[in-house]
Amino acid sequence: MLLEVKELTKIYNVGLLRRKEIIAVKDVSFDVKPEMFLSLVGESGSGKTTTAKIILKLIKPTSGSIIFEGQNIEGINTLKDLRRYWRNVHGIFQDPYASFNPFHKVDRALGQAFTLLEGSNFDKESIINEALREVGLRPEEVLGKYPHELSGGQRQRIMIARCYILKPKLILADEPLSMIDASTRAGILKLFSKLRDEHKTSVIFITHDLGLAYYVSDEILIMYKGSIVERGPPHEIIEKPQAQYTKRLVEDVPLLYKKWSGF
Amino acid sequence: MIPRIIKDLFKIKKLDISLGIFLGLMLLSLLGSIIYPVDPTSVVGPPERPPSSAYPLGTDNRGRDVLAQLIGGIKNSLYIGVIAALISLGIGVIIGAISGYKGGLTDSSLMLMTDVVLVLPSILIMMLIAAYLKERNPIFVSIIIGVTSWPWVARAVRAQMMSLKAREFVYMSRIAGLRDIKIIIEDLLPNMASYIFMAFVLLMSGAMIAEAGLSMIGLGVTKGISLGIILYWAQLFESVRRGLWWWFVPPGACLVALASSLLLMSTALDEYFSPRLKGG
Amino acid sequence: MPILETKGVKAYYSTPLGYIRAVDGIDLTLEKGVILGLAGESGCGKSTLVNTLMMNVRPPLRFIEGTIILDGKEISSMDRSMLKKNVWGVLVSLVPQSALNALMPTQRITDLVKDVVMHHMNVSEQEVVSMAKKRFEELNLEVDTLYRYPHELSGGMKQRVVIAISTLLNPKLLIVDEPTSALDVSTQKQVLKMLVDLKRAKIIESMIFVTHDIAVLRQIANWITIMYAGKIVESGLADDMLNHPKHPYTFSLVNAVVTPEPEVRNRGLASLPGEPPNLLDPPKGCRFNPRCPNAMEICRAKEPHLEEKSNRLVACHLVFP
Repeated sequence: MLLEVKELTKIYNVGLLRRKEIIAVKDVSFDVKPEMFLSLVGESGSGKTTTAKIILKLIKPTSGSIIFEGQNIEGINTLKDLRRYWRNVHGIFQDPYASFNPFHKVDRALGQAFTLLEGSNFDKESIINEALREVGLRPEEVLGKYPHELSGGQRQRIMIARCYILKPKLILADEPLSMIDASTRAGILKLFSKLRDEHKTSVIFITHDLGLAYYVSDEILIMYKGSIVERGPPHEIIEKPQAQYTKRLVEDVPLLYKKWSGF
Repeated sequence: MIPRIIKDLFKIKKLDISLGIFLGLMLLSLLGSIIYPVDPTSVVGPPERPPSSAYPLGTDNRGRDVLAQLIGGIKNSLYIGVIAALISLGIGVIIGAISGYKGGLTDSSLMLMTDVVLVLPSILIMMLIAAYLKERNPIFVSIIIGVTSWPWVARAVRAQMMSLKAREFVYMSRIAGLRDIKIIIEDLLPNMASYIFMAFVLLMSGAMIAEAGLSMIGLGVTKGISLGIILYWAQLFESVRRGLWWWFVPPGACLVALASSLLLMSTALDEYFSPRLKGG
Repeated sequence: MPILETKGVKAYYSTPLGYIRAVDGIDLTLEKGVILGLAGESGCGKSTLVNTLMMNVRPPLRFIEGTIILDGKEISSMDRSMLKKNVWGVLVSLVPQSALNALMPTQRITDLVKDVVMHHMNVSEQEVVSMAKKRFEELNLEVDTLYRYPHELSGGMKQRVVIAISTLLNPKLLIVDEPTSALDVSTQKQVLKMLVDLKRAKIIESMIFVTHDIAVLRQIANWITIMYAGKIVESGLADDMLNHPKHPYTFSLVNAVVTPEPEVRNRGLASLPGEPPNLLDPPKGCRFNPRCPNAMEICRAKEPHLEEKSNRLVACHLVFP
């Protein structure tokens, strides 16, 4: 097993005078096998992003554990160990605009990947160029540019190119397509499948769009209010949804060849 | 990207006006002593003369030239303002940045310290330190003002830091295994540059007023001149009651102009950088 | 008489590098009672177009030429104060893309309502509030929300409130710019339902709905217009157009839709390669030619114009040689 998530819970305490507990993630457990494409589907506030951040060690869980290749990630604390972990488990976030520091050229995001690679004598330029070509970008078109000079799709492809440099064992892609034009989503989605097929990378794909998850996943987990309400292979989720929430979710996805009743 | 911002900034009337006033007074103080080379501390004529062709702004009670004093005073007040602002900014940014980025225990202890300094009446501290020092040059005064006026900067920087560190590009740098200090310097601080600059402007205006305040109660610089010192002497010799307007109006007006042009500048920048206020 | 008719409308952004031709010669006719879906990639000028259609043109955007006739009045020659008084909010309302974040955080929803209504009508505050209450009830929105602050409302709720307020004065035409792209599917459906209800209740007569999501358009639009690089490339009846797209660009847009249904699974995932052109210096001839799989010699040389055939307008040399 590549990654085991066991009874993960995250509770936020908010408010100064009246302390209130907000349960972001509640008792979430799932496994990720090598070369597996797993989708976490849910609306905003369902806890899917929090789960991703915990796996990426960006925030700490309240309880529960995450085991990566047999090791509890709670024990990974030195910079050296952290770097090794992030080389194996990398992330891509929702907002391709906010993923780049506006003060730096986009090259920086790619160059940063080398901090994680062991060794020092890389031909950085050719590795970067190669990775950019893999994700369908022409290096001369994007290198040396500032983020605001590129489209959302190009920026997100650069982020994926960073994963092509690292070739991690697991990628957490948190809503990577929700801010991308509908017309280019499929192309970017395919890059994740390609990474899995060519480099055996497992993908945890986080989305609110059941349609996207349907085409690429081996398994879909439906999250609602912090818990997993249903899990199964894509066609079963779409064709025979069991949970009340999943039924509504499937119903509310706008289709191209069928109109909603009452509209 | 940068020249575009500057071009846009100059379109803001408030900023143009305030910058005009501020730069005008600054130039007056820098070039004034060349064009009008009169020593502000030596006696040049009869005392308490109203403005005339020989003394464009008259003389004070000991026959010193008020215009020369004004030129020197603006220069020193600006100097104290800049140095004090830099000191507070330095302390405030460092404490705020570490506190906001690290969180947890570091944050709590640094903020406790900040709050202690924040609630202590700073004028009282300034008075105590100032009274303890027998000789006070502009640098001392700047330090006294600087070390007492940073807490709000630390608080503000911390708040900015906490919101910035949840931005995705910071996550990207974190999962690339960058050191914290590198993330703070490369990712976080540049993105609050406009904010830090505004804080600097506000601190400077506050420091110049604080300098005048210290001087007015006799705890200002002991050597040399400043706007506060001119006002101090003018007040000591009852210039207002005796109608010696040329003695207290120009330094008072200059102080107000400097401080308010800086305040106006920061408002203009604030409106530009926080779009919610734009066209509100 | 159509509700909106434009002829040769051009609106450019003026930049130090030259004009960005975001809206470059638009002829558009919107019949009464129609929900028009305006689609295209980001940066194709669709947001600029809808702002121009109601003459909400502010620097750096400049109105270059053309006529816009809204409900029989030529609004392209009106000045801003006249538009504010007689057109905006009364004849046409726009819910901009940024509406969700543009609410003043310190204002209650009622304050917002007062601002909007009292600008146009000479009524007392109580009358405004009772008017808003009635409308909220009519649209199944909790009347309670009127007394809340924006941050207390969820994204979907905020969007519905903004739409309800924008239509308080029963404008004949409502323009909504990407109202649901930031929302979850279920919330999206609620917002779309509300828009349809607004028309059914005859609060508004016609609507322009801007989006990049074709599947959403299918649900609510009865006429679809596709924009590419500042120009209209195809326009027609919704069902007919999505089932039989004629322009290669429309074809790729429809083909790029990823929805969980058998027709889509059978054709597989496809996406449009390349990036939209730089509108500072658009390609010669047909603007789509660099990305078009069927580009011919003539496409690089001569610009195609919108031509009509059986209720469909297409600007393509392939369709109209």
